[in-house]
Amino acid sequence: MLELDSLRKSFGRKPALEALSFHVGEGEIYGLLGHNGAGKSTTLGIILGMVEPDEGEARIDGISVQRKRAAALRQVGSIFESPCFYEYLSGWENLRILSSYSAPFDRAATEEVVERVGLGDRIGSKVRTYSHGMRQRLALAQALLPMPRVLLLDEPTDGLDPEGIKWFRDFILKLREERGMTVLFNSHLLAEVEQMCDRVAILKQGRQVYEGRVSELADDDRIYEIDCDPWDKAAHFLELQGCRILQPGRVTMPPELDPPLMVAALVGLEIRVSSFAPVKRSLEDLYLEITR
Amino acid sequence: MMFLRQLRGELRKLFARPRTYMGYGAFVAMELIILIVYKTTNGSYYMRQLIERNGYNFDYFFSSLTLTFMVMIFSMVLLGSIFFALVAGDVVAKENEDGNLRLVLARPISRLRLLLLKYVSVAIYTFTFVFFVGVTGYGMATVAVGWDGGLFVAEPKMKVFAVYETWSTGIQRLGLGAAGIAVSMITISSLAFMFSCFRIKPAAATIITLAILFVDMILQNFPFFRPYEDWFITWRMSCWVYLMEFEISWPKITEAYAFLGGLNFTFFVIGFLAFQMRDFKT
Repeated sequence: MLELDSLRKSFGRKPALEALSFHVGEGEIYGLLGHNGAGKSTTLGIILGMVEPDEGEARIDGISVQRKRAAALRQVGSIFESPCFYEYLSGWENLRILSSYSAPFDRAATEEVVERVGLGDRIGSKVRTYSHGMRQRLALAQALLPMPRVLLLDEPTDGLDPEGIKWFRDFILKLREERGMTVLFNSHLLAEVEQMCDRVAILKQGRQVYEGRVSELADDDRIYEIDCDPWDKAAHFLELQGCRILQPGRVTMPPELDPPLMVAALVGLEIRVSSFAPVKRSLEDLYLEITR
Repeated sequence: MMFLRQLRGELRKLFARPRTYMGYGAFVAMELIILIVYKTTNGSYYMRQLIERNGYNFDYFFSSLTLTFMVMIFSMVLLGSIFFALVAGDVVAKENEDGNLRLVLARPISRLRLLLLKYVSVAIYTFTFVFFVGVTGYGMATVAVGWDGGLFVAEPKMKVFAVYETWSTGIQRLGLGAAGIAVSMITISSLAFMFSCFRIKPAAATIITLAILFVDMILQNFPFFRPYEDWFITWRMSCWVYLMEFEISWPKITEAYAFLGGLNFTFFVIGFLAFQMRDFKT
């Protein structure tokens, strides 16, 4: 449904994206992760035709955004971090104006979407009176008008309270369930990405350094939690063996190393080992491991 | 139809902004000051001399129509240009600065179409503004001197002199003149619009436009630039006053508006190219 093919983009001499390619299938929720400046927003900008790539192209349902932008974007809704509406207009007028750029205004569909996002009683108020949570709901409403097949979400839950985040997550998951919507989700909230996404890609300095299924993360048990004394001596030894220290008491072990032998070696070095246990690797672990 | 629906949205955005009305407020205040000065001082002395020296009846020709013409000719280029530059300079740059443009550009609308919508809405604003000044000016002048009377036109710089004996012919010609002013003023809006499409702050677009305009106006009035006056934008913009001549000189009018039309088109194309080449980060 969404394909990125060898995208390259530089701003001046600074490369922002280097040969980025990935594919998001229909009905899939795909997470895009990376530090600030990793290239996530540039990627979204290219998909929306707001940024012109130096090389490569983005395709939505087989239609090239770079060649037939309007046709490709007819199936796309998007939400940006801190969406900026026309503050001096009501929520309804904002929806009316923004949706008119895509298709003729449909009152019934707009009313339905407004009710769904829970803005029914405040849609006539000026946007300047809205809370952050209400703005995000309005952003979601505008992204759904007219009902798209692909949803691009750029930090959509930034600044929301836990209740708002849960509501948003449930809403997106329900949309996928009901309409088979394809979602590209760009967020710093790793726990959110882990709960929502089927697959993730991690970007680092414009390069894709990881892509995989979220469900596969649990199967990778190379991270160990070690309780030992003295830690510094143990850490030095483990690093010499090829382990990576993630944080004090937590290491990634290369597959060729045998954990029982490592424990024995540590004990042989007069290090008191209280526990040496594999831990389930979270997306956060993976993210930190890759991006550090 | 789709274009008109989208244009309605653009106009709604434009006319809902409080700053759009600053110009309307300023002009009403200015007209009020003119009216008060006229009522409380011997403000009509110069006009009495001018009208009577040409052999016309001052009481009949110092009318609401003549006052409206004076308000428009003296105020529009100086004061009007500030507001046209302000609104047109904001129209793209301010939306970009506020972040609204991202939401629009994420929609399946081409940048050319978006700019056309904005340009047409600015042109409509320019027209409505000029006619607002004309109508309110006439309304206030009516309060001061009554509604009827003829129209006395004297513009020494452009060498235009005309007298309309009846109210109906005078109001028609004044309406035509207002349309001419509006078309002329679109050039200021186009210039500010072009700068608004660049990667600059809205205030910068307004200031650069006004700077160009005032430099053009000053140079045009320098004696040794007189032979080249028809190359100046502000001189061409003043050509609307030829519409007030009793026998309209259409070749002069056509030449002036062809010049301004070419400029407007050029400004739009440059603005579009600058806008088209820009990257907008989400």
